[in-house]
Amino acid sequence: MASADTCFHCALPIPANCDIRVEIGGEQRPVCCPGCKAVATLIRDAGLTRYYDSRDRPDPGAVRPAEDAGEWQVFDREDMLAAFSTRDGNTTEATIYVGGMYCAACSWLIDAALRKLPGIANADINPVTHRLRVAWDTSSTGLGRILATLADLGYKPQPLAPDSTERPERAEQRLALKRLLVASLGMMQVMMFAVALYSGEFQGIDADMERFLRLVSFIVTTPVVFYAARPFFTGAIRGLRARRPGMDVPVSIAIGIAYVASVYSTYTNGPDVWYDSVTMFVFFLTVARYLEMRARHRSVDRSAALASLLPNTATRLEDGQRRQVPVAQLAAGDIVLVRAGESFPADGAITAGRTSVDESMLTGESHSQEKSTGDTVVAGSVNLDGIVEMRVDVTGTDTTLGTIGRLSERARYARPAFVQLADRVASYIVVGILALAATVAVSWYLIDPERAFVITLSVLVVTCPCALALATPTAFAAAGSRLSDLHLLVTNGNAIETLSHATHIVFDKTGTLTRGMPEVVQTDTHDPEFTAQDCLQIAAALEVASTHPIARAFTRHESALTATNIEIRVGAGVEGIVDGRRWLLGKAGFVPGAAPAAADETATQVFLGTGGRIVATFTIADTLREDAANTLKNLEKMGYSLSLVSGDGEAPVARAAATLGISDARSSCTPDDKLSRINALQQQGEVVVMVGDGINDAPVLAGADVSIAPSHAASLAQSSADVLMLGDSLHPIVTLMQAARRTMRIVRQNLTWAIVYNVSAVPLAAAGFVPPWLAAIGMSTSSLVVVLNALRLSRIR
Amino acid sequence: MSVLYFLIPLALLLLAGAVWAFFWAVGSGQFDDLDTPAVRVIMDDDERPPDDGSK
Repeated sequence: MASADTCFHCALPIPANCDIRVEIGGEQRPVCCPGCKAVATLIRDAGLTRYYDSRDRPDPGAVRPAEDAGEWQVFDREDMLAAFSTRDGNTTEATIYVGGMYCAACSWLIDAALRKLPGIANADINPVTHRLRVAWDTSSTGLGRILATLADLGYKPQPLAPDSTERPERAEQRLALKRLLVASLGMMQVMMFAVALYSGEFQGIDADMERFLRLVSFIVTTPVVFYAARPFFTGAIRGLRARRPGMDVPVSIAIGIAYVASVYSTYTNGPDVWYDSVTMFVFFLTVARYLEMRARHRSVDRSAALASLLPNTATRLEDGQRRQVPVAQLAAGDIVLVRAGESFPADGAITAGRTSVDESMLTGESHSQEKSTGDTVVAGSVNLDGIVEMRVDVTGTDTTLGTIGRLSERARYARPAFVQLADRVASYIVVGILALAATVAVSWYLIDPERAFVITLSVLVVTCPCALALATPTAFAAAGSRLSDLHLLVTNGNAIETLSHATHIVFDKTGTLTRGMPEVVQTDTHDPEFTAQDCLQIAAALEVASTHPIARAFTRHESALTATNIEIRVGAGVEGIVDGRRWLLGKAGFVPGAAPAAADETATQVFLGTGGRIVATFTIADTLREDAANTLKNLEKMGYSLSLVSGDGEAPVARAAATLGISDARSSCTPDDKLSRINALQQQGEVVVMVGDGINDAPVLAGADVSIAPSHAASLAQSSADVLMLGDSLHPIVTLMQAARRTMRIVRQNLTWAIVYNVSAVPLAAAGFVPPWLAAIGMSTSSLVVVLNALRLSRIR
Repeated sequence: MSVLYFLIPLALLLLAGAVWAFFWAVGSGQFDDLDTPAVRVIMDDDERPPDDGSK
């Protein structure tokens, strides 16, 4: 599944001079970091290695098992259980949002792992909504243990309060399925009776039997019209009220008059009934609607996405006592204790302590910020190395984080809508069809009143925008499912259409064009006693306990050494004893004898020293992705203009832009700046694609015409994005742009076919050569052609 | 042919039964996840962990 130089577990590239292996299935598999090793080992020891055979894409999140199982134990407390679960006798049920799951194999893994716990009565996981509904016996296991199990597998569990667990999408999906079933069963039944009636017309049929068959068809058709076709009627009424009639209007009229006329004919023993046409019509349209809805529902859950950036619980100080409380219970004025590695639960100010804070997800700035008493902190940023107390000023949706969430919501609504264009065109077609049908009705009424109704009905059925309605959603659905095999998850069906005429692609820097995590790019040793490898091992041993992002650059290398007496000096470095020597690792001022090289803002230098002398200098930088330059060159060749907007400082942005050959680069942008930059481009008539991953990118992702986020992006950015890229490469963007163009070519072919068919069939129908049943067959064949053509998209590579 | 007057209503009753059963199944959440069950059958639930490193 993974090649030799990518991680067996998460498929990220394995950093140079890193050699960690796990034995799975009798072979030594390379992995990229101790975190992946731990998860892979856990999966193997639980006997769940099947996961690696059947997952369809590698684990996209950079995973790391929760180091502190105690974090989850608070969920076993009674008041926590009451807040997050409902109890029924001995069993308790809770809904948990599981961040970081992407495919069916994930849901199988979670299911299988949970079933190994004692007392689990039921575990029901939905990979589309990322929700796990679990019921367990409180006497044998606890919520904390369930959450810890999920966290150990590398997912990010987040228990949800019971009232937020019902999604409107689920109800919509269930209703649509029921309607689809009623329409399809009804269609098949009525078809059977219709065959009997048609053959009866040729061979002669008992008059009583004919009446009986018509009556039965009426009974079956009625629920199809009133239940399955209901959305068309409500849609038509809504369209008329808004003075923008859509496709629903002629559809409703055709269904309505064919049904009423058939009922009348059944009652009066008239010459013809059209129940077969009605049901077939409803069935095809319901299928099209259903496909469209499935594509729409793939989007990431927005409400949970925002909350998942905050911790589940916070430690509140109540009269000097520490108490774990759900974050939702925090109020302004509370004093909260935040440990190293935790994220801040609310906006506020530090009242005691000193630390450095990682705000990169919120601001795009790649360096951490030093904070001490009196400095403000924002919810969602991560406390890196010190323990601090903070005063809560603002909670919930009023925080900076909540504001960014609202900003992206607003930008999403203001997005220029190509969909509306399609709807406007549709209303012209609709008016045309209605006018045509009326003309035909009047003309035939003057020529031959007997045949006027049948012919008008044929015209309405023939002009049915069925193929027209299917042309776009089927192509999008086929392209979407193929793209998801190619590690691209399209969450907004219309994105493909917009992508195909995109002109300008804007990239964020940190985490998008760069890896977003620091790496040791250079090791200089100053002491012949130690090799570069030795120094890295010592540094990795010292940094083991640290949560600082810089530390991650070292801990990616597995160390055979262990450090003792480790002490973390906030804002300076770390010291500890390795192999009997006292080592210092940190900034220039912290390690004696360290001389920083020429100032270079794009890289951080970390020094390693012992016994008052300097031993090694590490250069740590957030490097560009390997395929970034190549991908950008390809995109440029395809004719797109490229830009870079970043919240990071000027030097690193300029350097990245120079390396990649991007002339239009902007630095130090706030989320607002980014959004206005995109809006300016849009005003010049550009169709803008945004690629970004941070929380600060969320508004601009929502405001761009189409947005793409890598899978490791903040969940708020993911929920604002139209397309998610799984895996750790930028190349899928090229595939995506090509696929979008190809999809639209197919859509155009489909539309052309549908229009040619309609235009050639309408005169025949208007002239009275096409009986309604033939019109219905013609309509179905034309729809079939459209569907088969769309399926060609499943061969994109 | 008069047997049809009995058989067709019977078929309709069965149809109504099928629709009722499907509605019940949808309502109880059996159709909420349409992606996992397709691959679930090919996954065996148990695989012995390699205990001595050889297989």
